[in-house]
Amino acid sequence: MPGQLLSSVADGIVVAAILSVAAMGFTLQFGLTNVLNLSFGSVMTIGGFTAYLLEAARVNPWLGLLLGGAAGAVATVVLGRGVLRQYARRRTQLFEMMMVTLGMSLVIDYSIQAISQNSIYSYTVLQAAPVHLGSIVLTPVQVGIVILAIVILVVAEAALKFTKMGKALRATAVEPSLARSCGIQTGRVVLITWLASGFLCGLAGVVYIISTQSVDYTTGELFLPLIIAAAILGGVGSLKGAVGASLVIGIVTEVVAGLGAGGYSTVAGFAILVVVLLLRPGAVIAGDEDRQLVL
Amino acid sequence: MSAAGQGQNLTFATDREGTSAKPENQGQPVLVAKDVVVDYGGVHAVNRVSLSVAAGEVLGIIGPNGAGKSSFLAALGGQVRRASGTISLDGHEVSGLLPHQRARLGLARTFQTTSEFSRMTVFENLVTAAEGDTGSSLKAVVLHPRRTAQREQELVSHAWEVLERFEMTQVANLYGGELSGGQRRLVEIMRCLMRRPKVLLLDEPMVGVAPHLTGKLISDLRGISRDGLAIVVVEHAMEVVRKLCDRVMVMAFGEVIASGTFEEVAQDATVQSAYLS
Amino acid sequence: MSAWGFYVATLLIYFAVDLLSGIALNLQFGYAGVVNFGYIVFQAVGAYVAAVVTLGPSLGAGSYQQYILGAHLPFPLDLLAATAAGALLSLLVGLFSLRRMRRDYQAAVLLIVSLIALQVVSADVPLFNGSNGLTGVGWPLGQLFGVTATQSPWLYTVWSLVVVAVVFVGVSWLSRSPWGRSLRAMRDNQGAASAMGLNITSLRLQVFVIGGAIAGLSGGLLVEYIGAWSPGAWGYAETFVIFTAIFVGGVGNYRGVVLGVLLVPVIFLEIPRFLPAIGYPGLTASLEWVVIGLAWMLCIFFRPRGILPERRLHVTPPGALEPGALQPEAAPR
Ligand SMILES: Nc1ncnc2c1ncn2[C@@H]1O[C@H](COP(=O)(O)OP(=O)(O)OP(=O)(O)O)[C@@H](O)[C@H]1O
Ligand SMILES: [Mg+2]
Repeated sequence: MPGQLLSSVADGIVVAAILSVAAMGFTLQFGLTNVLNLSFGSVMTIGGFTAYLLEAARVNPWLGLLLGGAAGAVATVVLGRGVLRQYARRRTQLFEMMMVTLGMSLVIDYSIQAISQNSIYSYTVLQAAPVHLGSIVLTPVQVGIVILAIVILVVAEAALKFTKMGKALRATAVEPSLARSCGIQTGRVVLITWLASGFLCGLAGVVYIISTQSVDYTTGELFLPLIIAAAILGGVGSLKGAVGASLVIGIVTEVVAGLGAGGYSTVAGFAILVVVLLLRPGAVIAGDEDRQLVL
Repeated sequence: MSAAGQGQNLTFATDREGTSAKPENQGQPVLVAKDVVVDYGGVHAVNRVSLSVAAGEVLGIIGPNGAGKSSFLAALGGQVRRASGTISLDGHEVSGLLPHQRARLGLARTFQTTSEFSRMTVFENLVTAAEGDTGSSLKAVVLHPRRTAQREQELVSHAWEVLERFEMTQVANLYGGELSGGQRRLVEIMRCLMRRPKVLLLDEPMVGVAPHLTGKLISDLRGISRDGLAIVVVEHAMEVVRKLCDRVMVMAFGEVIASGTFEEVAQDATVQSAYLS
Repeated sequence: MSAWGFYVATLLIYFAVDLLSGIALNLQFGYAGVVNFGYIVFQAVGAYVAAVVTLGPSLGAGSYQQYILGAHLPFPLDLLAATAAGALLSLLVGLFSLRRMRRDYQAAVLLIVSLIALQVVSADVPLFNGSNGLTGVGWPLGQLFGVTATQSPWLYTVWSLVVVAVVFVGVSWLSRSPWGRSLRAMRDNQGAASAMGLNITSLRLQVFVIGGAIAGLSGGLLVEYIGAWSPGAWGYAETFVIFTAIFVGGVGNYRGVVLGVLLVPVIFLEIPRFLPAIGYPGLTASLEWVVIGLAWMLCIFFRPRGILPERRLHVTPPGALEPGALQPEAAPR
């Protein structure tokens, strides 16, 4: 039993690593723009399919990983600049913006369904013999994913702390009008944020399908609830928080699955979000209806 | 319908202005706040502010931008949680109550940013405000349709009275969102009066109101107040404060720095320095 | 009965079911401003409950379908159970999701509820037979007269139109009442509405539960006609078809909802069946969803008030006042 638990925890850390890549992107984006972006999952799917197509064209899988991230970045910028900004111009409210992203998600998901002929495609790259560490069984690629997540966290935190753009981003997230009047070009900050969060999103899509070994049009949609849960649980805008929350969610879901309740593993992750919403009202309640959109 | 039940003597109609007999509740404090603190994530926007307003009295709150005036009103109305302190309304301890519960005890307020119901006509704005308590509950509507309809009729005529008083009958059928800024302010005040409140909190009510109406509004408000209503008004226009308020309280940086009659306060050195700095 | 007759009857029944959804969502969204992105879950629970309480006791794990709560309830208990199930689930979900939470969080949580519920029901076979769903559901009202829904689709059509008419009249009456007015006040400005003595939490919960009850009823009505229900029937996107219908027809106007439901889920989603098939099977369906998504986005962009917008209450100064003076008339444009 402890062995079983240990291996569930190890699996949980792998799930957490995948989740945290996505959640860092999501929380970065949400923290700055205040748009609760429900098309995030769809962009993940775009990243995943990009990697799948590249693999079919026999491109190196590592390059595929990077290009999948790039596809996510491009898609996010196109949606952010091309769509959301147009809505912001029409003074669409913060809440309506979420409905817009939902529409984008429908359009993307079902376009992919149409193009992919509603099939599931298998994606088996970078697979290698698993390594046994006592009761823990991990594949090298899983270890790689965990390392990747840690590297991203460190790099992103450092970028936020020490680069000029990072500082500008944090300032804009806290007080956009003040930042603007201090001479920060918020437009550029937002653009960079779209790029970075979109890259993480696409990357997460690829990492996710490497781990599940298949991709279809629902790939990102089904992962989205956990991403939102992690971002809210970790405190919107906090990378470390997102990673910590991903760990909690990842381990809980895998332990539940390890107990033989596979169908309920996502529910367990969601239950955590519910508990947070109930117990940490300060995190989500209060009069933040009047937060402004930054686009 | 707590406010309406006993509210006949609080009728908005100021035709009683001439009556010399004051209501018997005159002079009793109806709204008492003690050491109210409002915190926004560590910063004390309101720091141990107290007040006591009696029926028939108009209290003005003035102070520079960001002094915490609106936050204090929000603590009184229940829109923000006070971190500490007590608030009592007409003898009830209300510090822990939600805004609608305080409203049902006779507190009405307007907001600094206009808050008309934008896709309802002015007329509906007024009627809804007065129905706000239990008259519009699902239970009342379904189980007592006749009583509800009757009450609605009363409110309709009351609404016309109020509209006439404010020269707004022409816009009765316009949506709240179709009004000018000043008209929106008036709608908010009318909405409050429809409720026949015991305490009225006004946050900068005169912004955007035309000069000839300002004077009229001041005398109206004073008239209503004499009928036994306690009014707390936040206002920047000194002329309005001077004419309207019996007492004035000055806030700066979340604290009360002076209080007294307008003349007393105007001569206070700390007040002058607070405004100059 | 001709295939055409059968087809038209089926369309009318779908129309009735979607109209119930439209009414519920218009009450919640158009009047109260509550955005229920998980609407379809409450319809689904009604359908499942109506199915299991008419299918009889479950035959257990070995049989071709297994489920909980199996029973043989007679009419009208089947539909009452479906309605109650929708209301009860709404109450539960509403109690945690309708707290004083940011509206976008709230909507996202409801969407998540929709996604998760689908996963759970698909995976949990003992509950409602997992992703295969339930089949063989009968029509208890018809059984009283010895007919089945497939034998007499016109009877079923009449029955479902009667149900929807009753709900239509009831809900539009409620919406015009002072209660409906306080919903609109809450929609327009929550802060001011609560400062006017309206209990926002309670009002939101009320519309949520009433809408959920209607959703449950619509699910029961649908499943007793088509005879089967499975996760394929209630993807999260179904909710947005109805939302789009309301946007097109007219937010806050029940006649507009009728029109919108006729145009979007019935005509738009059914017409392609008559067109020659393009591409591989299923392509049309995918493209329809893309169009729904685009329509949805355009609706928010242009903020139309729909073909039949919310009607303005028109009052005339005293003297001309009669009882019923607070009924809306067509807006002078
Ligand atoms: N929701 C909020 N969250 C955080 N801080 C707030 C919030 N509302 C107000 N504050 C801060 O509290 C302080 C007092 O604000 P308040 O609105 O009460 O001032 P005020 O006296 O009404 O000013 P004005 O005359 O400009 O209306 C200000 O420093 C403001 O920045
Ligand atoms: Mg203020």
